[in-house]
Amino acid sequence: MTILELIKKRRVLLDGGFGTELIQRGFPQGACPETWNVERPEVVKEIHRSYFGAGSDAVLTNSFGGSAIKLTSHGQEKRCYELNLAAARIAGDVKPDDGFVGGSIGPTGKFLQPQGEFTEADFEGAFAEQARGLADGKVDFLLIETQYDLREALCALRAARRVAAVPIFVTMTYNRVPRGFFTLMGNSAAQCLEELEKAGVPAVGANCTLDSSDMADLVKAMREKTSLPLIAQANAGKPSLSSGGEVSYSQGLEDYLRHIPRVIENGANVVGGCCGTNPDYIRRMAAIVKEQG
Amino acid sequence: MKKEELYARMEKAIIEGRKSEAQDLAREAVKAKLDLTEVIEKGYVPGIQKVGDLWEKGDYFLPELITSAECMKAAMAILQPELDKAKIQTRSKGKVVIGTIEGDIHDIGKNLVASMLSANGFDVVDLGADVKLEKFIEKAEETRADFICLSALLTTTMLGQKKAIELLKQKNLYGKFKVLVGGAPANQKWADEIGADGYAENAMLAVKLARRLMGA
Repeated sequence: MTILELIKKRRVLLDGGFGTELIQRGFPQGACPETWNVERPEVVKEIHRSYFGAGSDAVLTNSFGGSAIKLTSHGQEKRCYELNLAAARIAGDVKPDDGFVGGSIGPTGKFLQPQGEFTEADFEGAFAEQARGLADGKVDFLLIETQYDLREALCALRAARRVAAVPIFVTMTYNRVPRGFFTLMGNSAAQCLEELEKAGVPAVGANCTLDSSDMADLVKAMREKTSLPLIAQANAGKPSLSSGGEVSYSQGLEDYLRHIPRVIENGANVVGGCCGTNPDYIRRMAAIVKEQG
Repeated sequence: MKKEELYARMEKAIIEGRKSEAQDLAREAVKAKLDLTEVIEKGYVPGIQKVGDLWEKGDYFLPELITSAECMKAAMAILQPELDKAKIQTRSKGKVVIGTIEGDIHDIGKNLVASMLSANGFDVVDLGADVKLEKFIEKAEETRADFICLSALLTTTMLGQKKAIELLKQKNLYGKFKVLVGGAPANQKWADEIGADGYAENAMLAVKLARRLMGA
């Protein structure tokens, strides 16, 4: 069965936060996470395994910052193909027979002209190299995620299509303002859905920034605009740090879970966690998904 | 054209992000030998402030903010040389050293704060991203800065905000600069706990905070 067939059949559960899981296992925050696909693959595998064990139908590769442009910030751009190939392979190694691996493609962290220095061709080149690595490493689908600029998301989509034959999904990240849900660049949720649907994206949605309560409202708004399968991965609220250095998220596990049934009822076909969530969240979400069908 | 009408058009050019018009109006003001400090204060500054308000309300987004800040810069590029020529000291709103802390490459928020401060008349030294704590302090001493602005998106680099203040204390420089902190995981409570002078949730609030701390 393909991932799209599964989405049509039943609610699908993705994984949760990755960065915090890496840090708990000794990854120095601020370094380049994708390098651990080659240097410490056993750690990355262990995290994927923990999500599959918690009930994820699909996990996302450790390649969120793996575009050639983002890797440049860490001086790792020459390793773009290698790091993405490894990301896909190690996730594939621990994938159960009925599981799926999605290749994660996050934003470049830069802006297109005129706000930034980059051209669409620059972005497409950077994303194509990443997608080629992920595709050669045999991911089942690609997820272009956490996108704050619709133009950039469309660059990633065009680039990925040139080099990968798997389904490509897109999730944008939205802020809630009085007029509704908008990306950093001012793309409304309605505009993103319309353009992505027009581009033939088979599943669309949102992740990050919003907590699960706001995400439930966003899913409702998105459902009014599209009949495509919707993906929703909320943060566990906002992070904060105690002066002792302990990180906590404003929502916490129980409050996060309280809104998940509404995320589902409002029309999310694919759910998962984002920043501040971990395998415990996913285990509890798996129970909710099972219960609600 | 009457002064008031000119000011209104300047304000509008900034709000609507029309760069060549903002520049033409600046040239017109120079030609008419207007008081250029008044031109800035009554023509252009209200424009960029309205842009900030529109952004806070969620009517404007990052592209509009950047475009308007660019317009402001373009108009100032015409006015500043004239002010210098006439040896008119424009009072800087304050001198700012800003950067993202070492170990953190995220700079979107920091760049916005820097450009809004600059558009609002602050002198801004932007050290970029991944900046060593010592470098902030060195640069602040060298430029006799009023503010050190520390940005961090990651929770570990946020600890750098605390370390920077400890470092200032060690060097007996605590209190010499006003330390402002920002970034997704930061909040007012954190700022209070570590002894920072202020926290702002977004670029516009950062401008208001800096103004308030300068007593303006």
